[in-house]
Amino acid sequence: MTTLIGGEMLSWSDLDGTHGPAAASGDALRSLLSPPLGRTLVAGPHAPRLFEALPPEQVTVLVRGADDASALARPGLTVLCGSLEKLAAVPAYDTVVALDGLDRLLSAEADPHTWNETLDLLLAQLKPGGRLLLGVENLFGVHRLVALPPAPADSDWVVPDDHDPDRPAGHAGLLTRLTRLGLRVERDYAAYPALSSPSVLLSREILAEPTLAGALGAAVATAVRPPADVLADPVRLATGALRNGLATELAPAWVIVAELAPDPAAERGPGPAVELAPDPAVERALIGRPDAVIGGRAVSLPDTGLPRGRTLQDHLLAAAQRRDLPALRDLLSGWQSGPAAGVPAGQIVVTGPPAEMVALIPAGEPLKALRAFAATVIAGGFAHLWPIRGDEAELTAVLAGMTGRELEPADVPAGDAPPAHAVGDLLADRDRLTRELAEARAKHEWYESMLLRREAELKRVRQMNALLSATIPGKAATNLVGGLRAGKRAVRSVVRRTRGG
Amino acid sequence: MECGVHHANHYYGHSHVLARYCGLDDTDPPRLHGYLQHGWNIGDGMAPDHEYVPGVPKFVWSERVRRRAWSLGRRDVYVVGAPWAYLIAMEPEPADAPKREGTIWYPFHGWEGQHIIGSHDGLIAEIRDTETGPVTVCLYWQEFRDKRVRALYERAGFRVICHGYRGGWWKDLDPGFLYRQLAEQRRHSRVASNRLCSAIMYGTLAGCEPAVYGDPMQLEREKSAFGGQARIVREWADMHGASLDQSVARRVAVDELGADRLLPPAELRRLFGWPSLREDPDFELTGVLTR
Repeated sequence: MTTLIGGEMLSWSDLDGTHGPAAASGDALRSLLSPPLGRTLVAGPHAPRLFEALPPEQVTVLVRGADDASALARPGLTVLCGSLEKLAAVPAYDTVVALDGLDRLLSAEADPHTWNETLDLLLAQLKPGGRLLLGVENLFGVHRLVALPPAPADSDWVVPDDHDPDRPAGHAGLLTRLTRLGLRVERDYAAYPALSSPSVLLSREILAEPTLAGALGAAVATAVRPPADVLADPVRLATGALRNGLATELAPAWVIVAELAPDPAAERGPGPAVELAPDPAVERALIGRPDAVIGGRAVSLPDTGLPRGRTLQDHLLAAAQRRDLPALRDLLSGWQSGPAAGVPAGQIVVTGPPAEMVALIPAGEPLKALRAFAATVIAGGFAHLWPIRGDEAELTAVLAGMTGRELEPADVPAGDAPPAHAVGDLLADRDRLTRELAEARAKHEWYESMLLRREAELKRVRQMNALLSATIPGKAATNLVGGLRAGKRAVRSVVRRTRGG
Repeated sequence: MECGVHHANHYYGHSHVLARYCGLDDTDPPRLHGYLQHGWNIGDGMAPDHEYVPGVPKFVWSERVRRRAWSLGRRDVYVVGAPWAYLIAMEPEPADAPKREGTIWYPFHGWEGQHIIGSHDGLIAEIRDTETGPVTVCLYWQEFRDKRVRALYERAGFRVICHGYRGGWWKDLDPGFLYRQLAEQRRHSRVASNRLCSAIMYGTLAGCEPAVYGDPMQLEREKSAFGGQARIVREWADMHGASLDQSVARRVAVDELGADRLLPPAELRRLFGWPSLREDPDFELTGVLTR
C-alpha cells in the first residue's frame, strides 16, 4: 500500500543514485537489521534488500521520490511517499531506521530544516524506549579529506556543511548531541568506506583491542580502495588513522544504535493513545548487535575468530624504515616461500609467536602479490631504501632477489591498472622522474667522458702499433702473419675443392 | 677487462670475490653499476678521490657507515657487507686446518700518493716486547719493494711478506690478493697493527685475536678527515690495546664488515646490474658454485 503524505517529488528517485549518492545498502547494514525489530519505520532511501528479512506487515517505508515509492511497493508493506515533516507526529514505532542519514528525508518542497529539527521529527515517530538506527556522514572523514572538489548533485539544493552549528561536528559532538536529545547510545560504529554502503563497521570496543590492529587494518584498506581519482591515497590515510587511534574520528560515517529514554513523553506533551511499552524481544535483538561487521561477517568479542597481530605489510614497512635489511629479507622469504605467497602483504596477519602468516583472502599469483607490495613501497615513498629506479617491475625483481630468487624485471607479471590516481602520488612521481632523468643525464655524461678517455688510449696504442710495425722486427712479424694467413686460405680452398669434387 | 663504474671497485680483487659469490666468472668480473666501499672507513664509505655521478648507487659495508653517509648527504647508499665477509662465507676454515701460531703484523702503510713518516725501529721494539710467538710482518707493496725497510724487519727476525698489488685504473689488478691474505691470516693466532684498519677487522673475522698498539706513525701531509686517528682511538676504544676482549672485538668486526647481513646472490646481482644465472639452478640452492 502506497500513501502520498504530501511534499512528494515526482519523477525522482534517491534509490537509483542518479540525483545524488546511492541509497543505504550493503551486507554490513543488513546484519544490523535482523528481526525482530517490532514495528519499524524505514525513513529515507534504503535498498530493499536491507529490510527484506523483516515481516512486511510490520514495516513502513518513507521515501520522498514517487519513482522509489512504486519501486518499493510489495504486498503487505506500507510505503509512505512524501516529506518527513508531513508525517503525523505519532510515536508508533518500536524501531526507526535512518541509516541513510537525515539529509534525504525532506523533499525539495519542504522548507529547510536544521539537523536538530529533522532529528526531532524522526524521534517523534519513536515509542519511548524504542530504538533509533541512525547513519551520520562524517563531514571530516577520510573520504572527504581525499576527495577532489565535487560538482553539486541534483539533491544538493541545500548542502550539508560543518560550518553549520546546528549540525554536530565530529564523533564526540554527535554522541553528546544525541544524549542531550534523550537518547542512550548503545552501540556506535565507525563505518567504512561511505555512509551509503559501508562494508566495514567497527565498534569502539573492537577498536580498543590492539591485537586486532592487523585484521582491522586489512579490512579498512580493502574497504576504502578508491574507485575514482583522489587527492591522496585513502588506504594510507585510513590505515594510518587506525594505527593512530583515529579510526572512529576519521571514519567516513558513523552508525548509531540508540534507545529513546523510556518516558520522554512528559517533556513532549500529551501523547496519543498508542501502545507505548517496547517489545522485550526487540530489545534483546538490538542489544546483541555484533562488535564489528567485516566483509558481511558479524564479529563479536571476545572470541572474534580474527587473527591477532599486525599485517605483514606493516612489519615489512617498519623493517624498511628502520633499514633492517636482514629482517626484511627474512619476512620476504617467509612470505614468498609459504602458502600465503600469493596473498597481498596487506591482507596477511602475522600471528604468534611462533610467527605464522594468516591469509585473510584467497591466494592469487605470488609475483603479482610481490609486485603489489613493490607498488605500495613506491607510492608510500619508501623506495629510496633501494638504490634503483622507482619502477615496479625493477623493484619486484630486487625484492625477489632478497628472497634468493632469480627474477628479471621482464618476467614480472603486469600489475592491475589502478582504477584511480592520487594527485599527491602523481606529483611525487613527476619529481622522481625528473630526478631520475637528471641522474641518467649525469651518468650519460660520465660514460661519454670515459669513452673519450678510452678512445684516446686506443689511438695511442694504435699509433704505437703502427710505429712498431715499421721497425725491422715489426715488418718480419707482419710478413709472418701475412704468410700464415695466405697459407690458411690456400688450405681452405684445397679443402673446398676436395669436398666439391 | 670491462670497467666498473669506478676503477676502485676492482681494488684488491673485491669485485672478483663478489663475482664468484654471484656464480659469475671471477677472472673477468662484469661491470659493477655503482661504487663499492674498498676499505674500512670512518667517513661515508667512499674514498676521497672518488668522483661521484648522481644517482649511481654506493655500496657500503656496514649499517653504521650507511647512516653516516646518509647524514652527510649521500643517497642511494645500500649496505652489502665487505667482500672479505663473502670470501670467508665461501671459504670456511677446514676442520683439519694446521694449528695457528704467532702474529701477523700490519705496520700502518702509506699508499701510492703519500708515504709514511715514523720510526720502524721503534715499532719493531714494541712488537718484540709484546708478541710472544713468531711474527710475520706484512708490508704494503711499496714498502715491501723498499729493500731498506724490508731489511729492517727481516733483521729483527720477522718473516716479511706482501699480499700483492691492489691495482688501479683496471691495470695491475690482483684478484688473488684477498685469497693470499686469508690464507696468511689463518696461519696466525693473532693479528696486530699500529692503527685500526681493514686488516685488523679482516683478521678478527678470520678468527685471529686482534691487537692494536705501538706508534701509529704519520702519513706525509696527513689530513684528519672525519676526525682522523684521534677519532678512531676514541670511537673504537674497544679495539685498541695489546690484549682485547675477544667477544667485543668480534662483534665490532662483524658490524663493521656487515658480516651478519650478506645479500643472497640473486639480490646482489640485481643491484650490481650483473647478469642473472637462470641457467644454473644448482647455484641458487647452495649459493656457491663448485669449481
